[in-house]
Amino acid sequence: MHKNQPRKVRLQVDDVAYVYEGSTRTQALDGLTLAVHDNEFLAVVGPVGCGKTTFVRIVAGFLTPTRGTVLCDGSPVRAPGAERGYVFQEDAVFPWMTVQDNLEFGLRAKGATPTERAAVAAELIRLIGLQGYERAYPGELSAGMSKMVEVARVLATDPSILLMDEPFGSLDAQTRGQMQDELHRLWEKRLKTVVLVTHDVEEAICLADRVLVFSPRPGRVKAEVAVPLPRPRPLELRLSPEFSAIKRRIWAELGLAEAS
Amino acid sequence: MVAALRSIRVRRGLVGLLALLALYGLAAQIASGRLPTRVSLPMHDIEGVELLPTYSSLAEESVFLVQAGILLQGAAVSTGRVLAGLLLGSVVGIALGLAMGWAAGFEYALDPWVVLLRFTPALALLPLYVLWFGLGEAAKIGLIATAVAVVTLQGAYQGVRGIPGVYWDAAAALAAPRSLVLRRIVLPSALPQILASLRIAIALGWVTVIAAELIKPSMPSLGYLLALAGAYPRVPTIVIALATIALLVLVSDGLTLAAYRWVTRWMRRRHA
Amino acid sequence: MRSPGRRRVVLGCVSVGVLVCFYTLVSNVGRLVDAELLPEAFARLSRPDLLPPTQDIFKAVVSLVTGELPPMEGHHAHPSGHVSQLVEQHVTLQGALLVSVLRVLFGVAVGGPLGILTGFVLGWNRTADDYLHPIYVLLRSIPSLAFITYVMLWLGHGEAHLLIPIVYAVFTTVVIPTYHGVRDLAEVYVRAARSLGAGGRLLFARVILPAASPAVLSALRYSLIIAWMTTVGVEMLMGDDGIGHLLVGGGLWSSRLQIGVDPAVIIVGILALAAAGYVMDAAARIVSDRVTFWARRRRAW
Repeated sequence: MHKNQPRKVRLQVDDVAYVYEGSTRTQALDGLTLAVHDNEFLAVVGPVGCGKTTFVRIVAGFLTPTRGTVLCDGSPVRAPGAERGYVFQEDAVFPWMTVQDNLEFGLRAKGATPTERAAVAAELIRLIGLQGYERAYPGELSAGMSKMVEVARVLATDPSILLMDEPFGSLDAQTRGQMQDELHRLWEKRLKTVVLVTHDVEEAICLADRVLVFSPRPGRVKAEVAVPLPRPRPLELRLSPEFSAIKRRIWAELGLAEAS
Repeated sequence: MVAALRSIRVRRGLVGLLALLALYGLAAQIASGRLPTRVSLPMHDIEGVELLPTYSSLAEESVFLVQAGILLQGAAVSTGRVLAGLLLGSVVGIALGLAMGWAAGFEYALDPWVVLLRFTPALALLPLYVLWFGLGEAAKIGLIATAVAVVTLQGAYQGVRGIPGVYWDAAAALAAPRSLVLRRIVLPSALPQILASLRIAIALGWVTVIAAELIKPSMPSLGYLLALAGAYPRVPTIVIALATIALLVLVSDGLTLAAYRWVTRWMRRRHA
Repeated sequence: MRSPGRRRVVLGCVSVGVLVCFYTLVSNVGRLVDAELLPEAFARLSRPDLLPPTQDIFKAVVSLVTGELPPMEGHHAHPSGHVSQLVEQHVTLQGALLVSVLRVLFGVAVGGPLGILTGFVLGWNRTADDYLHPIYVLLRSIPSLAFITYVMLWLGHGEAHLLIPIVYAVFTTVVIPTYHGVRDLAEVYVRAARSLGAGGRLLFARVILPAASPAVLSALRYSLIIAWMTTVGVEMLMGDDGIGHLLVGGGLWSSRLQIGVDPAVIIVGILALAAAGYVMDAAARIVSDRVTFWARRRRAW
């Protein structure tokens, strides 16, 4: 999966800055520059308040940067759109729709025919292993299952890039582990460009090809750590020395450990 | 204050209000020659009615009302009634609500009566109270107190029931005596709900007092002023009375909201 | 509320039963015991024109429902002037209730959609909200009953001056919860839908509307009670019919509130009112629960 030749750039962020105006003026990001390549899994970690969420919201199109440009597939990002799928930390699955309707929603927005929608939805349900739950309502599913429905829902519109902001943040530790595995499996089957924002360093290393460490506020890219670990990455990988080495490096950048 | 003015929302809000006032003034001016001044009431027809009073007649009227003491006295009396009813009603309502929330038996026994009162509009009790307590203050204050009690009872009840189970368990694990649990756990936890219901209760109290004063007018009071102005009719007085009521309601609501925000400041989490 | 159970039903019935018995005893004290034997305070209580004996209440109910006066029975108390008058005017309990219920329904049918529409506009469009919100706050501070005399000057003494305050009351009750539903509750879903490429009608009909519906429906349910209160109020003030009118036996301009109002009629009216309100609220709750079944808490796995 790792190619040596330079790959197409899906997302280009140049010198982006963002300021929150409010009772106190907060410079969330300043001079942020990065690039995400095609089919790359990029993780972003950083201390609390470093602007990770602001960054990913800008890329999604929910916020407009006070300075700098964001290009997705060459065109500037102005508003949210289906080519940049977004998975939220909070529950964003539509509780008034069945699982099937949720999955079909993005396609409905695109104007696909009912048969097309049903076909894509059926495939995705198989992919996330929720056969039989098509007619179920999210309220009847567990938190983890519901989150997978959200991920699948985003995948249904075949976005160029998948943005995830602490998607498993509201899940308990055990479910998180399962979900990380699921996500990994999904990504391998349906290669996509992914930007994952997380505070969980292990999660970042398990899933990503590359980990960017943000500096504290105002946020910019402080360090870049490659993760050349082979895939698939089973749970035992977390105990390996290579894993720990990468972890130590990242922790050092975060100021949590001494670089060895 | 200056910082608030810099906020675009506040500026726009002021613009909206001013636009409304300007529009009204314009309408009143245009209408002043053209609207019919004759109104037919059930008993008789009246001449010389200004249906849309202009700002000048409103100003004149306000000066007269204030100087004659009618407006201020009326406002004081009505406000006094609301406060008295609020005090009485909330004490009873909160006490009962806390008791009902704490003890299931108490709740089950009292529930039918609470439900009955909840679906009885307070005003419907006015004839009964007047019959029992006469035409004095007691009936009106009792009415407001009843309305307030029903609302605050619900708030206190919800407040107690909403206390996370872990708090009760923690208190039990520390073998805390009942009075301590009440003072230090139940009351603070229930306070937001109680204050929220108090806000509703104040609005309800104002509605009730005005309605009661309209139905059973007694001098001086804002409701009486309104009724009298309606009977005469003197429209500028109606408008001024309405404006005064609105002002008093806004102020009392604002104060309660501020109290609510202050009390719940420990509850609001900062978003990361 | 704590879960229903036998203990709840039993205690509730016992409490009602005890109070009814106690009341019957106290209200009939004058008949059972010679007046001179009673202490002062009790003597006052035993006046049937303050505390109508239970059987009088029953008689009033029967009269008002059937529209007929009971046959005169020797030395038993005659039906009060109030009851006779109502029967003479062919006013029945159910008739009065129907009229009031119709007014309430009208108020909700007109004020509800208006309020929902306004709430949506204010919640969705920040600019409109910035400009219009203070105006709304100002207007809703005025109790809607207070408008009645003013409206009457414009529109005369028909039905309009009764209905407008009811519509207004419902309107002001519904706006804020709808506003909150659109602005706050729907926020994350709107963002998710936008990221899926949804916009315009799809966004509105399939996302915003359902997301806000629990808040809107609960507001509508609450507005029923408010509408009741306003209806009773306008009927007491200026109505010629309806249950409020029954309660006072006349309008503001006729001072019948002071003379001749039979407390039995009042109590009957109150009970009927409460029952009707309870039924309507229960119906609203059933409908709203059915529509927003999905808003129930997730089962913990």
